[in-house]
Amino acid sequence: MKILRGVYEGPGSHGILRVAASMSGVHAVLRAYPSEWYFPALHGACTRTGEPAPITLSPIPEGAGGSWTPGNLARDLSGIARRRPEAETLIFARSEAALLSGEGAPILALPENPETGRSPKLVTCEWESPGIREVEAADLGLADLVKAHAQKGPKSPAPTVNLFGPPIFGPKAAAEYAEVERALGLIGVGVNARAPLGATVADLSHLPRAWANVVLYREAAESASLYLQDEFGMPRVTTPPVGSVGTGAVLRAVGELCSLDPKWVRRAVWAELARTAKLPWYARLAVPETFRGRRVALFGDLTYTTGLGYTLAREIGLEVAWAGTYLTHLEKDFLFHAGAFTDEAFVEDDPEAVVARVEETAPDLLVGTHLEREVAAALDVSFLPLCPPIFEYPFVERPLMGYVGSTVLADALEDVLREPRGPREKPETTARAPEWTEEALEELEEIPAFLRGRARRLAEEHARTLDSPEVTPEILEESRS
Amino acid sequence: MLGRRLRRQERSPRKITGETLTILNESGAPDVVSPLHGLSSLAERLPDTLLVVAGTRADVHLAQSLSVPLPGTPLDPAEQSGNGLSVHPRVVFVVLEPDEKPSGGALASRVIEAAAGFRRTELVLLVACRSAALLGFDVEFEAELAGRRLDLPVRPLAPDVGGSGVLYTDLEDSAIRALVELCPRGVSGSGEERSYSKGSLLGKFPFRGRTGRRTTTETGVRRPVVLLGALPGPQEELAAELARAGVEVAGDLPGAADRLPPLDDGTIVAVVDPYLVAASRAAEDRGATVVRSLLPIGVGGTARFVQDVSTLAGSGASEAGHARRVWESLEPLRSRIRGKRIFFTGDTGLEIPLARFLVDAGAVVLEVGTPRLDRRFLAPELSALGEDVDVVESPEWRAQLERVDTVRPDVVVASPGLYVPLVARGHLCRSSLDLLSLGVHGYEGARRILELFARTFERAEKLDTLNL
Repeated sequence: MKILRGVYEGPGSHGILRVAASMSGVHAVLRAYPSEWYFPALHGACTRTGEPAPITLSPIPEGAGGSWTPGNLARDLSGIARRRPEAETLIFARSEAALLSGEGAPILALPENPETGRSPKLVTCEWESPGIREVEAADLGLADLVKAHAQKGPKSPAPTVNLFGPPIFGPKAAAEYAEVERALGLIGVGVNARAPLGATVADLSHLPRAWANVVLYREAAESASLYLQDEFGMPRVTTPPVGSVGTGAVLRAVGELCSLDPKWVRRAVWAELARTAKLPWYARLAVPETFRGRRVALFGDLTYTTGLGYTLAREIGLEVAWAGTYLTHLEKDFLFHAGAFTDEAFVEDDPEAVVARVEETAPDLLVGTHLEREVAAALDVSFLPLCPPIFEYPFVERPLMGYVGSTVLADALEDVLREPRGPREKPETTARAPEWTEEALEELEEIPAFLRGRARRLAEEHARTLDSPEVTPEILEESRS
Repeated sequence: MLGRRLRRQERSPRKITGETLTILNESGAPDVVSPLHGLSSLAERLPDTLLVVAGTRADVHLAQSLSVPLPGTPLDPAEQSGNGLSVHPRVVFVVLEPDEKPSGGALASRVIEAAAGFRRTELVLLVACRSAALLGFDVEFEAELAGRRLDLPVRPLAPDVGGSGVLYTDLEDSAIRALVELCPRGVSGSGEERSYSKGSLLGKFPFRGRTGRRTTTETGVRRPVVLLGALPGPQEELAAELARAGVEVAGDLPGAADRLPPLDDGTIVAVVDPYLVAASRAAEDRGATVVRSLLPIGVGGTARFVQDVSTLAGSGASEAGHARRVWESLEPLRSRIRGKRIFFTGDTGLEIPLARFLVDAGAVVLEVGTPRLDRRFLAPELSALGEDVDVVESPEWRAQLERVDTVRPDVVVASPGLYVPLVARGHLCRSSLDLLSLGVHGYEGARRILELFARTFERAEKLDTLNL
């Protein structure tokens, strides 16, 4: 039992719903209490496309419901099967409260849809448990959908790959797929299917036609791509195509798997470096002093945190003070990859602990999720919200992957690194930080740890507005009312 | 007409035909955003109150991810603490792990720890999510324990444990109910002392609610009136209307926790929001007289409300003349919504009085959805609703999308989940949460409602003239 300011991940059911809502032809049935219904509102806020979320609530019945009340799970499932011709596959998710209430997954045959004459497939996520959180559930859910549909078939005549990227609500998700698809097109490799975002049920069954799987977002496709590797012998490329180095590595790996002429691949890469990828160009244009001694801290998921960490450390030459992730189930993976560019890699799922690290380190640049935004603003640290979860859904999505993505990153870096810094600003911040009197410090110690950081920042801010050189217990108290 | 439309549905609705009005029960799953979304705005409305939410990570995720601006709701600078993405600072989450054994007192300790971080806390509301009960926590007991040790009232709320149908406003209802239960009893009330009355809340200010305006109970004729519900602005406006009719308001809930009005069998409780069912029941259990009248929403509703409250309170001035003048002053606005066809998908519980007012003002209300309907509590409202209005209890949201497409209303008051899909299908929409935060009560509220719709139509007409 812990006091938390927020969470980075939702429950497992949320991950399954995200995967289902990413595809067409897949309809999710959420077994939950009506008070756990928020996905459609979030879906509307994030996608703004106007398609209602392909989700049906099967409410857990309570009290004496009438005979017509929904809630009989078998009947709700059959009802969707009959009434929703577009639902070729139903995926069954249980909310955390439903899991805690101890209800099992249903085993039943679904009736035929009168329009299509077929009965939909039912995918039940038997592995669901309250301990499995959003990202892991998205990965397992996608794997279950792939297992249910993938069928052996002839390979495509020309080289193609499948793209496994982030599910819906991923930041810039659609743009990431599009940019990698564009880059692959330059070396003459087509895309057989995208999954999960934009996949149809037919796409899922045709997955084995591709020559290889390119995993853009391992968090969501590790299990599915491993299954395809084991079952269909499909090789996979797992380097995140972040930065020019990462993208080049992906293109070369795909070229090799598709037996392309390495010279041809190299020419395509060089052409892109000359035309599109401005990150290396930016790194060379700027004087070394722009980056020297600047420390960056990163916190987020696996792909973006390690991909960006590697890019910022190697391609730009920033010092990575630390890198962390909230994905506790990927701890080993993360520590292995982050070890390549930082001495301090960690796993932490309490936002306040991350805030404490930021305060301790005071990096020149913080790359993080939306939960780090507040501390960055309070400490006046340059901040780039580039790791999910981020609540930013612009109408025009710009990718962070591929060569165009590297250019977007160069622009973002130029913006935050151009500001004056170093000797002038640094002492000023420390000089500006007011001293704490003994009594005030004692008071501060009484505040519970999870609120202490915030209270300290508020008190120092208040002392500054009062032009007081020190923080007294009075100032501390006033700042907290 | 609706009956025919509904018949295509597999489950035929049960039809309850009263004297004037048809209520259909569609027995579907309505689109209602979880009541936990209201945590931040509740914290905003309850100063000096700490909201401790006991739930799993799933519940925290729910409360947190819905603090993004929902579709159709304007950015409210007051709610944008920091970056607008975090919940209110006076909302604290105690996260329960699913494999945890609920040992007695553990939750109470966390509540105490959380409360220590806040000064000037007069009241702690312990919001127990359903998961807390499923994990076996005895929230009543933990709240009691924390209250004893903090020397502060700590009240448990269980906003989502109940019968059928969830309303978006259930959290607010349960919070106001907790406030009602905390109100001190007046002199005439029983001498029952509460265990924490030596604490700051009850001991300090037993009679301070709106001291200046309080009516004296000694006269024996006039009884103190307590308003239940409404935002602070409309509360003031309603109090002013009642004062004009010779009734003084002794206090209102929700309000500052250190100024709760006395509430007992001498008190008249005037409920102003249609969804405060549990709160009004709690007031009745206290022995207070709950006014049975129309809700003070819209001109007619406010007039009836003021009239009935003043009659009960022993003043009894007629409101008819005043109401007529208000109607006249609203005529220019009325003409802009006359004949407009309005559809309520229904998620807040505010729909029925709004529909009643809009029909009075000349609009045509095609359907009023409501996830749950307390017929007894809303009896005056239901009988005042025009007979051409279809009330659909527990509507199925997909069926509603189809019905909206069929009847093509001029404007849809939509729940957040349906807002974007409906706009994408070419319907003009207003978010139901917008109306909730508008301040719909009283004569001024009536003006605000009409202005909101007039603005909506005006903008849509302007956009429609563009040659795209």
